[in-house]
Amino acid sequence: MRWIVAFIVILTYQKTYSQELFVITDPASNVPANSLAVNIMQSSFKEQFEKGFNYHFMPEVTYGLSKNLMFRGSAFISNRSNQLYAEGGSIMTKYRFYSTDDLNSHFRLAAYGRYSFNRADIHQEQIEIVGHNTGFETGIIATKLVRKLAISTTVSYEKAFDNRPQYDFPSNFGDNATNYTLSFGRLMYPKKYTSFKQTNINIMVEFVGQTINENGKTFFDIVPAIQFIFNSQVRIDLAYRKELYSSMLRTAPNGVYFNLYYTFFNLKKRNDNGK
Amino acid sequence: MKKILLASIFLLMFSIKSNAQISKIELRATGLTCSMCSNAIFKQLESISDVDSVETDLNTNTFIVFLKKDNKLNPKTFKDKVEKAGFFIGVFIVTATPEILDQNIYILVDSKLEKQTEINFQVLDKGYVTEKEFKKLSKTYKDVATYSTNNENDFHIKILNQ
Repeated sequence: MRWIVAFIVILTYQKTYSQELFVITDPASNVPANSLAVNIMQSSFKEQFEKGFNYHFMPEVTYGLSKNLMFRGSAFISNRSNQLYAEGGSIMTKYRFYSTDDLNSHFRLAAYGRYSFNRADIHQEQIEIVGHNTGFETGIIATKLVRKLAISTTVSYEKAFDNRPQYDFPSNFGDNATNYTLSFGRLMYPKKYTSFKQTNINIMVEFVGQTINENGKTFFDIVPAIQFIFNSQVRIDLAYRKELYSSMLRTAPNGVYFNLYYTFFNLKKRNDNGK
Repeated sequence: MKKILLASIFLLMFSIKSNAQISKIELRATGLTCSMCSNAIFKQLESISDVDSVETDLNTNTFIVFLKKDNKLNPKTFKDKVEKAGFFIGVFIVTATPEILDQNIYILVDSKLEKQTEINFQVLDKGYVTEKEFKKLSKTYKDVATYSTNNENDFHIKILNQ
């Protein structure tokens, strides 16, 4: 009997080391059902036209309602007005509608939508509803896992509105854009797992681009990142974003991200135990 | 005397009933990328109330789930939990008493039951094997009418220790 099990395991055994928990883009996979992920996202970007750094603090919570559907709420706080100021917030939902898994690979597709509001001043042509513009974004994500490597790509449509109450979207800017991303992630350590307590180290590189639909103005960035996962529950990301090409006005394209991510598994069970 | 007889019949029935159970599940999950993902499955499996303990091999994404006595669990509970974590099952092997087969949810294919105190069987249905494997098995068992109907509440099994 043991031999048969061993035989089946050997037949089907193939290491799949990889990583798709990207810094900038979401993978087509969702958070587990009935689990809550809390992410404290911080970024600091160097201002191009004035001294100093643009600091953003964006806490977010993500809840898995079912195996295919998740919701996320975020708040945007920044120092653009020289002191920390709550500028806006966002709700997002993602639905995984296709999944084909094998022992050493998977391919998944998801659709997502996000609506954000923001009351900060509008200071650049780049449309960014995560922390800058009021607007919505909707897109499709495809994630493929090939043995050691996870590759993910996103195409989305993003539209900006006025940042009410004070700041109208400038009429000389294009108010909608096409976004595209391509991300690669790979697990570097451990080479062999021994327990959940082991620290995992992933390296990733992401390419992030945007084209304003009306006038074709475009930017293209590279985002290398290193990620640590402690105790299979706490995640820390360190990433650097660098502009490779831009034909549009951006006030602070280069900077760093620092994310702290924690997952609370099985919320309902926790509640049951608490009763 | 009659009472004792009745009581012993009752006890006998009870003991037969409680004998028919799964003691251990060995499953291998697919589509995993990291120990954080394995942890999601681990927590889901742990949350089943009749689960005694869960052992994990993170390198193969194999989970050995030991069940409490007198549990009434069937494979679907485990499939649902793994899928809730966002993943799928590639291999699913059950260790149980042979009486479990008296429950008419298990359909034996490709194997005969011999006298033994413990049986190990693999579940061959969709969702318990990889998609590639399922395509192969669909051809192999195209004459088994119940296999192709993909009823979620019956399980086609192959006994491994014969």
